[in-house]
Amino acid sequence: MQGALTPPILSGPSQSAVSNQGLMPTASQASNIAPQPSKTFSSSGPLAAKTKPHVRRMRRIIAEDPEWSLAIVPLLTELCIQHIVKNFQKNPILKQLLPEHQKKVLSHLSPDLPLAVTANLIEDENYWRRCCTQRWPVCHVAKHGGSWKHMFFERHLENLLKHFIPGTTDPSVILDLLPLCANYVRRIRVDQFLPPVQLPASLQTRELSDSGSEVESEEPTMDHYQLGDLVAGLKHLEELDLVYGVKDCGMNFEWNLFLFTYRDCHSLAATIKACHTLKIFRLTRSKVDDEKARILIRSLLNHPGLEELDLSHNLIGDRGARAAAKLLSHSHLRVLNLANNQVRGPGAQSLAHALAHNTNLVSLNLRLNCLEDEGGQALAHALQTNKCLTTLNLGGNELSEPTATLLAQVLAINTTLTSLNLSCNHIGLDGGKQLLEGMSENKTLLEFDLRLSDISQESEYLIGQALHANREAARQRALNPGYLMSPIIANVPGNSVE
Amino acid sequence: MNPSGSMGVLEQTEEERLSTPNLEPSVYSDNPQERIQARRLRIAARLEARRREALGEYIDGKKESEEDQSKSYKQKEESRLKLSKLLLCGTELVTNIQVAADIREIHRRVEEEEIKRQRIEKLENEVKNSQDKFDEITTKWEEGKQKHIPQDLWEILNTQQLHCAGLIEDKNKLINELQQELKVKDDQYVKDLKKQSDDICLLLERMEEQVKDIMKSFRQELSHIEKAFELERQELLTSNKKKWERALQNHNSKELEYLINRIKKVEDYEKQLNKQRIWDCEEYNMIKIKLEQDVQILEQQLQQMKATYQLNQEKLEYNFQVLKKRDEESTVIKSQQKRKINRLHDVLNNLRSKYAKQVKQFQEENHSLTSEYKRLVLQFKELQRAMRHFAIIDDEKFREIWLMNEEEAKGLIDRAFDVDRIIHIQHLGLPWTAPDFWFLKNVGPISQQQQKTATQIVEEVLKQADEEGLEEGASESSYLDLPKQISAKTTRKILMLLCDESGFLIESKLLSLLLPLEKNECYLLRLDAIFSALGIESEDDLYKLVKFFLEYRAHHLSASQISPWTQANLERSSLMEKSLMSEWDLEQEQEAESLLEGEEESSVGGEQEEEEAPPSPKLIHPNEVLKVLEAFVMGLRKPRNFRAPVRMTKSKRDNSKDSEYWKALATVIPSSTQNLWDALYTALEKYHLVLTQRAKLLTENNSLEQQNSELQLLLQQYLHSKINSELQIPPTHVFRVPTK
Repeated sequence: MQGALTPPILSGPSQSAVSNQGLMPTASQASNIAPQPSKTFSSSGPLAAKTKPHVRRMRRIIAEDPEWSLAIVPLLTELCIQHIVKNFQKNPILKQLLPEHQKKVLSHLSPDLPLAVTANLIEDENYWRRCCTQRWPVCHVAKHGGSWKHMFFERHLENLLKHFIPGTTDPSVILDLLPLCANYVRRIRVDQFLPPVQLPASLQTRELSDSGSEVESEEPTMDHYQLGDLVAGLKHLEELDLVYGVKDCGMNFEWNLFLFTYRDCHSLAATIKACHTLKIFRLTRSKVDDEKARILIRSLLNHPGLEELDLSHNLIGDRGARAAAKLLSHSHLRVLNLANNQVRGPGAQSLAHALAHNTNLVSLNLRLNCLEDEGGQALAHALQTNKCLTTLNLGGNELSEPTATLLAQVLAINTTLTSLNLSCNHIGLDGGKQLLEGMSENKTLLEFDLRLSDISQESEYLIGQALHANREAARQRALNPGYLMSPIIANVPGNSVE
Repeated sequence: MNPSGSMGVLEQTEEERLSTPNLEPSVYSDNPQERIQARRLRIAARLEARRREALGEYIDGKKESEEDQSKSYKQKEESRLKLSKLLLCGTELVTNIQVAADIREIHRRVEEEEIKRQRIEKLENEVKNSQDKFDEITTKWEEGKQKHIPQDLWEILNTQQLHCAGLIEDKNKLINELQQELKVKDDQYVKDLKKQSDDICLLLERMEEQVKDIMKSFRQELSHIEKAFELERQELLTSNKKKWERALQNHNSKELEYLINRIKKVEDYEKQLNKQRIWDCEEYNMIKIKLEQDVQILEQQLQQMKATYQLNQEKLEYNFQVLKKRDEESTVIKSQQKRKINRLHDVLNNLRSKYAKQVKQFQEENHSLTSEYKRLVLQFKELQRAMRHFAIIDDEKFREIWLMNEEEAKGLIDRAFDVDRIIHIQHLGLPWTAPDFWFLKNVGPISQQQQKTATQIVEEVLKQADEEGLEEGASESSYLDLPKQISAKTTRKILMLLCDESGFLIESKLLSLLLPLEKNECYLLRLDAIFSALGIESEDDLYKLVKFFLEYRAHHLSASQISPWTQANLERSSLMEKSLMSEWDLEQEQEAESLLEGEEESSVGGEQEEEEAPPSPKLIHPNEVLKVLEAFVMGLRKPRNFRAPVRMTKSKRDNSKDSEYWKALATVIPSSTQNLWDALYTALEKYHLVLTQRAKLLTENNSLEQQNSELQLLLQQYLHSKINSELQIPPTHVFRVPTK
């Protein structure tokens, strides 16, 4: 305590202020002390200057002052805590204190303290909550594992990455942060990577884009920030969500801004291969074509932890799909998202082949591709043997009646599928009836999207009834798991017919 | 979807769930959890049924409450269904936009593809056309080169220019078209962007609306449910209140009834009390009169009593005086007696102490004496031991001394005999025969012959029997120990019989051990066992046994002739015989066989029987062996009793024969021989005398001869010495003269 009270850097006036406060606490002074802590955080210099004349003036004890009382004298511990808070940046003392004092110190610390001091010292969630709310108006702490500290560091790092300009910004800005945030970053979600600045004259990226069009030929220099070093330093990284593009470019649009170069691709592939803790990898809206997809997926083969792969909104064709199919059989992938790509029949066939004997994949999204009946039938065949997949999205794939017929058979057999999306296809009236027949024997499907798929209103309604019955049964099962639900399930078909 | 219908169904399912809960988990299911649950349900159902039976009338009320409960439940279910439907519809509404966008995108893609295809076709056509045109132009150039006339050339050039212009125009047109298309596309892009932003706006709007709607409906449903619950609660409250009031009324009316009853009872009791009081009063008066009368009578009696009392008092006073006097007297006597008692006590104490002293003394004495006695006993024992020891030692010593003396005596006797023999042979020239006396052969102290044990005898007998086969007749000479009237043969037979018949005396273990042995050995061991069982130890016993057998047989042959020594035994055995009479008949049958045997044996032993002193009897029937044995054992028991002390005396050896023996030893040489020896002695002495004289004379003679020879030698010496020659007259001459 003594050491904490008299550090060598203590300024003269403040010291005298403290001693004076301790010696003669007067009523008016006490009123001064009360707001003091809040001021102390911002700057000690002006405060000392401010309090000094007060103290001078209040030197004498006014005996007849009726408001004077001993209770107003702040405790020595209180004073010490104030001091610690004031000098926290230069002399951080926290662990040595008693728990209640720690709490007090933490509640009074400024969120502007340098991270180098606070990062590994402070665990208190309330402090980091204050830091977060001060920096960002909207905070979804649930998205960051419920930890404010994690949220702070993840968003801080994302911010840095978003505004990193290769060649201009100093890479040490990010790498210096690495030892501080390594323990707290679980997830990196970056929705923009800025390309390097071409003209030294224009420092702003948006201005750069103008000139970028002029120097279009210098493509090799368009590489983005290489994540390798950063990711290698993050021990707990689990999720990587990247978009190689520029946000808010406005009228400065340039194709160049949205270029995912081969070098980027190679370095990214090496990065994710080296990161064994990775569970979720997303690379969307980044113009990933077959070649790049193959490079990336090859690096992901036999990855120990990967569970989710999202390559939606890219330019992946049949070859990329084949690579993804290979990945299915060489990893523990649970979720695969290839929505809005250019996968056609052959790609779907290879995926179906991999799916037929896969036991890990739970969700497959092939929305907005061009599978057509060829691919649809292959997938339906695969579903006859698959016992794992629960969610399948085949919306907008130009499927028609033959696929529907096969899927109706699958529905009658399969007991794992809970969600199926066939919206925006040309299934037709007959296909709708067949699906209804298949649905009448299914007891597990809970969601079945058939909007805008040219089927009759009647069959859509009846399928809706069947789904409702299934949902009720599932609810009953969830409510009392030990209960045998056979009578209620038996009751359901009558219900749906009604 | 009509809500009422679905609700109905739901209700139905609900009811079914409520009505058949115990049917669903089967007791015979494979799942143990399920079985447990099924059993629990069954138990619960049984309890429930029992409770219902007990309560009976409350069932109706309960049903009502169940209905009430189902009302709120209905409301809940209804709300839940409504809400889920709302949610589903809402999400559908929201996602509809996405789906619409999707389908638009798909249509766009299809169209795009179509347009692209058309465009490519068009471009290809254009390329072909332009290529044709270009080829035409190039061929024309060749033509132009051949033209030499400038006008022609110009013409051609013009046409070429025209063609080229056409070509370029075509191209430009195409470019324009494409640019037009691009513009259209740009426009469309902008439109699309707008449309998309509109869509997003719509999406947001719908989402917000949805959120609002859902919030509202949730609140509504919540309030509905709350209302339903409230209603139910109120109903419950009112019904309970009613019940309560009814119960209270009941209670009040019952209280009133009780009160009235109580008042009536109080009145009744009061009446009864009054009646009782009057009756009691009357009774009291009656008793009072009666008691007063009693008092008067008692007073009279009291007067009488007083009179008798005074009389008695006087009498007693007199008696008292008399008694006082007597008392005084008695006190004097008492004191005297006391003194006497004291004195006697003293004496008694003295005597007691004396007695105790004496007792102690005697005890001590007793102790000392007993210890003395013990010591003496010990000493005596020790002495006995020592005595025994000394006896043994003495015996040994005695034996040794005996042997020594005997040896000495025998040496002397031998010498005497030698001398006698020499005298007889050498001096008297008579033939000499060594005298033969029994005591000469004796070695060691004379003692009675050891009695052989029964088994040894038996062994001998058996051995004898074996040998008999080889050398007949030898038995008689070697068997000197047996009583004369009993031959070895008969003994053997009897023993064999005994052995065969009394096998029960032998232990079974021994029998099994005996099996592999030889016949004789076997017999021997068996007999040994039998003898030990019968108590036959010594030779005498054995002979007694044999004798007994023989005599019994004799007695058996002539029943009238009963020897006096077996009479007692027979009396006893007759009792046995009676018990054996039943067996007798059987035995008689066997007798025939045994007789045959006996005849055979008798024929075998015929040669020997001639010599035997008792008349050769028929052999004892084997069945009678037991009887005989019993009789024998009875008989043996008596003499056995007084045998022990006899034995003791036997251990002392009698020395009566010793002096005789020694005397015999001393007088081994008869007096006639001694006389002879005396005579011889004197004669020999005389002879000796003569001989000695003669010897003397012989020695004398010898010495004289020696002297003579010596002298001759000396003479010779002198004669032959030198001095003689020197001398005038040699001595030889002197001698010669005489000699001559």
